[in-house]
Order: sequence, then C-alpha cells, then structure tokens
Amino acid sequence: MARNPTDDVSQVVLLLDVNPFFWGADAERLNGSVGITFDQYFQHALMFLNGILLLNHTNKIVVIATGSSTCGFLYDSTATENISESITSKGKTKSQESRSELITQSMQEFVSKEEEAVKANPDSSKVQYSNFSGSLAMALCYIQRVLREPLPHPQPRILCLQGSPDAPYQYISVMNSIFSAQRNGIPIDACVIGNQHSAFLQQASHITGGIYMKPPQPDGLFEYLMMIFATDLFSRQFLQLPRPVGVDFRASCFCHKKTIDMGYVCSVCLSIFCKHHQTCSTCGATFSKSNLTAITGMKRKAPPS
Amino acid sequence: MPRVRVVSRNFMEMVAALPAAKLDLLYDRHWTCQAVLRSLPPLGKQYVMRLLYVENAVPVKSLQEWAQPDALSKHQVAIDRLEQLRVILAERKKEVCYRMNPKFQKQLRQALSTGGGPPRDVVSGSIAARTPSLEDLDNYAMKQWESVLLQLVSCASDGPTGPQNSFITKVFQRAGLLSVPNEKESLSITDLGFQFLLMDTNSQLWQLVREYVTTAEDRGTDSGELIGFLLELGFHHVGEAYGVNSLPPALQKVLEELAALGLVQLQKGRSESWYIPTKLASNLSASLSDSSDWQSSEGFVVVETNFKVYAYTSSKLQTEILRCFARLEYQLPNLVVAALTKESVNTALASGISAEQIISFLRKHAHPHVSQRIPVVPETVSDQLRLWETDRNRVELAPAYFYDDFPTMDIYEAVVAHARDLGGLLYEDASARRLVVRADLHEDMRMFIRKQSSGTAAQRR
Repeated sequence: MARNPTDDVSQVVLLLDVNPFFWGADAERLNGSVGITFDQYFQHALMFLNGILLLNHTNKIVVIATGSSTCGFLYDSTATENISESITSKGKTKSQESRSELITQSMQEFVSKEEEAVKANPDSSKVQYSNFSGSLAMALCYIQRVLREPLPHPQPRILCLQGSPDAPYQYISVMNSIFSAQRNGIPIDACVIGNQHSAFLQQASHITGGIYMKPPQPDGLFEYLMMIFATDLFSRQFLQLPRPVGVDFRASCFCHKKTIDMGYVCSVCLSIFCKHHQTCSTCGATFSKSNLTAITGMKRKAPPS
Repeated sequence: MPRVRVVSRNFMEMVAALPAAKLDLLYDRHWTCQAVLRSLPPLGKQYVMRLLYVENAVPVKSLQEWAQPDALSKHQVAIDRLEQLRVILAERKKEVCYRMNPKFQKQLRQALSTGGGPPRDVVSGSIAARTPSLEDLDNYAMKQWESVLLQLVSCASDGPTGPQNSFITKVFQRAGLLSVPNEKESLSITDLGFQFLLMDTNSQLWQLVREYVTTAEDRGTDSGELIGFLLELGFHHVGEAYGVNSLPPALQKVLEELAALGLVQLQKGRSESWYIPTKLASNLSASLSDSSDWQSSEGFVVVETNFKVYAYTSSKLQTEILRCFARLEYQLPNLVVAALTKESVNTALASGISAEQIISFLRKHAHPHVSQRIPVVPETVSDQLRLWETDRNRVELAPAYFYDDFPTMDIYEAVVAHARDLGGLLYEDASARRLVVRADLHEDMRMFIRKQSSGTAAQRR
C-alpha cells in the first residue's frame, strides 16, 4: 500500500451478506449447516459496528446490504447525524440507541424490496449467489467520494461478511473492483461464514493487503470480528494477524463464466476462455489453430518428477 | 501538531494519577469509560477490545504474542498505559497476569451492546424551541473564547483593558501565562503567555482546563467528579439543552465557569436553567485521543515572499496575535496587512516566541488558497525568520577559567592536550602560553596541572 497511516481514524464499509437463499429456511438443504442463525449474525454485526464507533470519536461506518439480486445502503454514520437531529427537534430521544433500530429498520425495508425483486424476476440460476460485485463497487464509489473531500479523511477499509458462494459470472466485475481498490490503497478484509472458502475474497484480500479469515466456529463471529477485524490500519503495523494459508487463484472463463484450472488465454488482451475460439470475443484478435495443437500437446505431457 | 498530544496526554496523566478508589468511582459511569478508551493509544484500544469478553486473567506472555516482535516497545507503552489507568489490573501469582477492571469491563460491554444512549436527559418540549441554532452557538463559543484570549492579550498590549473576569485571570496566573502582580509591576503577560497565544485552540483549551482542575481541589470541588464531568461533556450533543438541576451543586458552579470559557452556553428559564454544549466541548474530547490533530480550522493568512502578511480577519484577537510578531501596516474592515520586519520579529523573539512557533502559526492558519502550496510559508521568509533567531544567539556565554604562566612549553602542551581530550578547551594561545577551559572542568584541570608540574619538578631534581 502506498500510504502508511499515522493515526487510527478509520472509515469502515461493511458489506453484509443478506442473501435469503443463504440465510433462508431451505438454506440448510442448499449449503449445509452454517452454524449461526441470521439473527445472531445480524446482532454480532451490530455490536461490531458499535465497537468501531466506540474506538474513536471520528470513526465512520457505512453498511451496505448485499442481496441476491440487489444491494443497497443500510446505514451511513455521517448521514444519520443529520437525521437524528431532525428527530430530536420533535422532542424524541435519539442517539446511538436508535442506531441499531435504524439499521434494523432499513434492513427490513431492504429485505422486502429484495423479495419483490426476486419474485419479479425468477431467474433461478443466479439467485443462490449474492450480488457481491454490485455492493463492492458501491463501497468503492462511496470511499472514492470520501477521498475526494478535503483533508484530513479517515483511513478507509472494506469488510465483507460473506456467506453465499462465489458467483462465477461476476468474476470480471469483481476482479476489476479489486484492482481499483488496490490502486486506491483500500484493503479489503473478508470474513467468510459459509461452508466453502471464497476464491474471490481470498484474492481480494491477497491483492489489497487485507485480512482473509474463515472462522472455524461461526457462532463466535463477534469475537473474531473484535479480535481481528476491528484492528485499524495503524495498529496492523504492530499486531500479529492471521496470515493467508493459501490463495485460490483460479479464474473464471469469459465465455461461459466457469471456474477453470487451465484454459486458453488471448495473447493480445489476456482474456480467458475455457474452449478454443476462432477470434477473441474481447479484442477481436484472430487465432490460428495449427500452433495451438502443438503447444497444448506439449503442455499435456506429465512434468518430469 | 505534537503539542496538542503532549498537553492532552498530560490531562490523562492527571486522570491516571488519581487514587485508585477515585478512579474506580469514575468508571461507574460508562461515559467516562468510553472517554478513557478513546484517549488510549491505538494499540491499547485494540487490547481493550480483545480483552473485553475475556473472563480469566491473561498471562503477560500471551499478551506479548499479540504484538509483532519489532513492535514490543509500542506494546509495552500500551500495556503500561492500561495499567496506569487501572483499565487492566495486574495479578501476581506464579507469573504476572492481567485481568480487566470488572467495572470498566461491565460498563463497556453495556455500551457495546446497547450503543449507549444519551448521557443525560435532554430538556424537552418548550425549551427546545428556544435553543440557539448551531451557527449561533458556534459564534457564541468563538466569541467567548476570543474574549478569554483577549484578556491575556490586553495585558500584553497595555491597551484599554476590557471587563476582566477574575476567575480567568486567576487561571492564567496559575498556568504561568500572566505574572502575579506585586507593588512594582502590574499584571503582565509572560514568555509562556506569548507562546500560548500561538498554540492552536485545542491545546490552549486543554492547558486551561488542566489548570482549572488542579485549582478545583483547593476550592473544595472534588476533582474526580469534575474530571468525570469534563470527560462526559464530549458525549453530549452539540446544540442541545441539558438540565442544570440534575447536576450536583458543585458542578452547577463549575458550569458557570465553563460558560466563561465558551464550552457551554447557559440559559435560565423561570424555574429551571439548562446548559448547551458548544463545538469547543466536543472538540475537546476529540483531541483527547492520541491520533494526530483532527480539526479543520478556516485559515486566513497569506504570506508573500516580500514578507508581507495579509490576514483576512476582522477579529480583534487575531489582529493582536499578529501584532505580537509583525508590524501592522493598515487595517481594512476584513483585512489586516502586516509586514514581518526585523524589529517586529526581534521583539517577538525577545518576548520568548521562537521562530519555529511563528512559522508554524503562519502555516497552520494559512488561507485555503495558499494552504495547498508547498511550502505554505515561502522559504525566503521562513529562512529569514530562522536567521534572525540565530542572530540573537551569536554570542554564547560560558563560565570558564583562564590559565597562564606555565613554566615550560611541555607542560603547557600536555595541559592543552588534556583539556582537548576532555572536550572543554575554549581558547588557546601557544605563543603566550595561555588557555581558557570550561569552568566545570576546573577541579580536574587543577589536579592535572599540579601532577604535571610536580612530575617535571621531580625529573628536574
């Protein structure tokens, strides 16, 4: 990362996975037991947010919900200050007590909107995935706006609380988001609750210098959040934090959005394909078949051990 | 700005120096716990968060494993700080273990799960309509604060003194910013006072508040209670009315004095009165944390390479501060034009202000149009200011001893060599066999010379 923070003022953007197909009733049938209910998960996240705001007077938080087809802002600690002021002028009590209520309320609104969206467009092939690329892009746009404000601004970072599996069809947009986060020096932390590791998030935290973690006991989510993900960028220079065990660097092909180990790469624009094509669909370069067979033939040979 | 941190840390040191019982009493309220948490160094905060839900005592070794090996010094600073503030308590069994202060732990856990709630009840209903707008409140706070500083300045300029608030004068005297008047001299500003004027608002506030708390004990206010209230004040919402009557009587009196500093605004109704915290109060607690200064004040000064200073201000205080080190040339309704001249800067240097302080003042208050420029203060100006300062230090006085009348050249040379080895040789004149050596080495030199001359005498014999 380019910048070395000198203080612990942070701007945390939390991407909360609320995909009903992951948390819902028949989630167990789809994904196996998660070990934590949505209610617990949501409570833990709320307490974590309280904790972040407790740490510093000037810490800021933003919560973005990721649904199966939509995503949206649930809470922005800078914007709600103004809202709460208008509440008090009517003589009501306010302050942080209402923060949890505010988030819960906007969460309910979001879920009902999500329900309509799913009903309106029942595309069963995509719904079990979360619209992660959308919320990641929203987070980056938000941070970009903060960074453009006059100095000083807080140290931004993104935390993804992800449950549902990676959507291969989002590969390109997710990777593009990751690279722009890297360019801006924004670390992406990832806490995966689902049963399998997330290759997207492994790569995201690897590339941007964030922390990737899949808690072995998801019901103790809050402890993991407080121990590891509450650490601000300044303190990270001095603390021992979990290191990545291994990163799944597999890519998705551009033609069928399948995750592949081995494939064809365009020699001009580096697009990835699972099958041989006459021309590259991205840049239009034409490939000749004759050279290819020779090379693939060589590649298939077992490496000398 | 390191000074803010030094001053505010001093305040927390004062908190840490409270007796254990008083400190524990302070932790009965979760606002003070939160304020203390925020004042900790970043690593300390992380440790508190990590220990918050740990019931057992944690051995020192396990804590050490949290930090990276090359950051152990920072780790130790954080742990020491936590122990000083009794956030963690040491237990010595087989090895040293730390357990979190149960009161602190309980309060913070509650704050975490509920998110807090307002520290005191907001006065509602009819009064809310009469609270001033945020803008009015800011103006009020700034006006109040400026009038406080003007009291200090008016003593410096010997100009027409405004209405003096005896409480503020006393605090100034106590902080050593104003001299204590006696028969010969009247009230006058000290070197420290001049330096104080050039600091930023938060450090000024902290210094006054600190002095204020130390004087509170003498006047019978419980300092623990006062500190608790000051820490809590930062969590109040700016621009909202809080009832005075719910406070203990000692604090009610304190409020009047805080109002004089501009931290709160007092309003009196028919049967009850209430106070409204201003931005100064919330900034106070924000600057308590160890993080670098987090305040954006509107700058107004443009410095040009020809030593002219244009200050877009109509504030009397700012003009007076400028007058400390610059010659005012003319004054327009919203603009003061001044020049940094050798005379004006020399007067400033003579009254104890350093060139660095002047430069940092100009840099910090730079007009937005020039604040993006690097460097903000033109190099010619900053260099010249530093040169003027070093000009004053051209002659350095050091007490010394003068030695002459050496019998032989050999002895003389041996003595000179010895003095040089000690690093105290100030002057030598070989042809006249004289040398000058720093006074603190005199005993050593005398012994050496005696030994030398007796040695040669023995040889001669």
